Amino acid sequence: MDLTDKEYVQRCRDGHPDDFRLLVHRYQGPLFSYLMGRLGNRSQAEEAAQESFVRAFRFLKKLRKPESFYSWLLGIAGRVAKEQFRSLKRRQQDCEVAETMMAEPADNHTEYPLDEAIAVLPETYRQVILLRYYEGLSCQQVAQRLDTPLGTVTKTLSRAYTLLRQELQARESADRTINHTEHP
Amino acid sequence: MNCAECRDNLVACIEGLLGDAESLQCQAHLETCAACRAEYAGIAKLQQQLVERGHAAADVSLVEPVMRRVRAVHVEPEKDTIMSILVKHRWGLGLGATAGAVAVILTALFSTPKVQAAAAVVMTKGAQAVAKLTSIHLRGQVRTPPAENFGYPDPASDFVTIELWKQFEPDLKWRVEKPERIAVMDGQSTVLYVKPTNMGMKLPQPSSSAFDTDWLHKIANLSNTITKDRDNALAKGWKMNLAEEQGADGRTKSVVTIQAKSDLPDSDYLKNKQFDYSDTRRVYRFDAQTGLLEAVQIYLTRNTGDVLIFELNQIDYNQPIDPGVFRLELPANVNWYQEPQKLTDNEKYAAMNAQQAARALFEACGREDWTEAAKFFPMPIPYALRQFLGGCQIVSLGEPFTSQGAGPADQFVPYEIRLKNGGLHKLNLHLRKDQQTGRWFWEGGI
Repeated sequence: MDLTDKEYVQRCRDGHPDDFRLLVHRYQGPLFSYLMGRLGNRSQAEEAAQESFVRAFRFLKKLRKPESFYSWLLGIAGRVAKEQFRSLKRRQQDCEVAETMMAEPADNHTEYPLDEAIAVLPETYRQVILLRYYEGLSCQQVAQRLDTPLGTVTKTLSRAYTLLRQELQARESADRTINHTEHP
Repeated sequence: MNCAECRDNLVACIEGLLGDAESLQCQAHLETCAACRAEYAGIAKLQQQLVERGHAAADVSLVEPVMRRVRAVHVEPEKDTIMSILVKHRWGLGLGATAGAVAVILTALFSTPKVQAAAAVVMTKGAQAVAKLTSIHLRGQVRTPPAENFGYPDPASDFVTIELWKQFEPDLKWRVEKPERIAVMDGQSTVLYVKPTNMGMKLPQPSSSAFDTDWLHKIANLSNTITKDRDNALAKGWKMNLAEEQGADGRTKSVVTIQAKSDLPDSDYLKNKQFDYSDTRRVYRFDAQTGLLEAVQIYLTRNTGDVLIFELNQIDYNQPIDPGVFRLELPANVNWYQEPQKLTDNEKYAAMNAQQAARALFEACGREDWTEAAKFFPMPIPYALRQFLGGCQIVSLGEPFTSQGAGPADQFVPYEIRLKNGGLHKLNLHLRKDQQTGRWFWEGGI
């Protein structure tokens, strides 16, 4: 049975650094996808994802809420993406297209609400979403993997969809409010 | 079915997990209920976004590169002692470092019996220095397409990274990796995975080398390699030179160059297409004081000039290898190689010669009749191959030929086909006759 994020983080802190690979395996798909969205380039996204994981490992002891590992990782990835963009821009500053064709990643994450929404899902629901969509497992395979009845998987997915949609709607409303306030 | 029941079953319905009757009831309710239809549409839209994200990340594989860096973060550097330098020597001589090094040749000798003997002494000392390894990690660069066979040098290709991790004790395990091709032996079984075609092959037993990795294992078994190259040079009269130069680290290096000759005649098709069947110039750089091997370069020697095809620029001796290196993570939908089974009309195919089999294979691909084409493949036909061969037309098929470097059941059929996009593709189709079924199966050459 897979351990929770909190348990893996704890094991890494307790001197089992190899267990970090299980966190990498769990989150490599969604993290890469998020960075692809931000950077728009596969090799840059891979580089940024690697760097994000390595920084996360290096600062694992500073993580206050181990159960929020992925949300924390996403924050690190956002900063890495920004740094990478700036570094690239410096290298290309003589090139005019750099200014016109590349949009700097936003400071806030509102452009990537689904990734953020996945990150704040309770772990039970996030786990099923990751297995189904990022590991490409069928519902039956998810059930086998989690050693749980198929009906439980579909119900968990159903609840996960509801939570995701609620979160997305809440973020959309908040954005509208902010925009309305800023641009009356 | 009412709204509550429909919503309870909506995900199962979308996933196709309901029985026929329940599915019909769900569909019927959706047709009459706008609220449930909106709910259905909302979930479908969300699913679409999730599927797109999943696809974007489908073949990303970050675990090993991240863990390699994590290990570097985690392991505190040990203090070097004379003994640890001897037992745990580590080099990182990248291409840039090598190119930038001011190597001053102190002594250069020509190949005479006296030089041969001196070079043999250096080789012997090098073999003794690495006689008892517990593990080795090699990192280098090879000119070859990233997904191609491990043993296929291609002077026209760019360099790609190639690595080997090999644990000799307590039990033998190894991993060989190029960017798009990985082979792992975990002590129980041996698995090959080719990324672009998502193709896997599993041998249910451990093996000391497999899947065309033999040449690299030979290099990893340094003591044997050095001894064999020395013995071959002396026995077969291969030219062997010795030079001394000043390395970038200020230490003296002994450089042994061996001009190795393949046993295959020049006319053989596989000559210079596999490391073991190639004429090569091998350059070994040893630390003159410790006798330890520091770098290897292999040049393909051809009439048109030598080409550097392999360079070993990092050797880690007796370093602990993370056990995770010997675990291979694979996607759930790998196209696994399967043992060929007899068909109901097997005789028809068993009666074909290699050329007829090649024709039948390409014609089936031309019709995009993948059921028929599959009779010539020992695994589900990879998607990339279907895309490539679908709709092709045969331009010409030549007479099959054999190679001393291949097995007795292997034949090569020269072919030229016109691809769906109008381009021409010309190569030799490698077919192997399966003993169990008597049919020809694709082995390579597309």
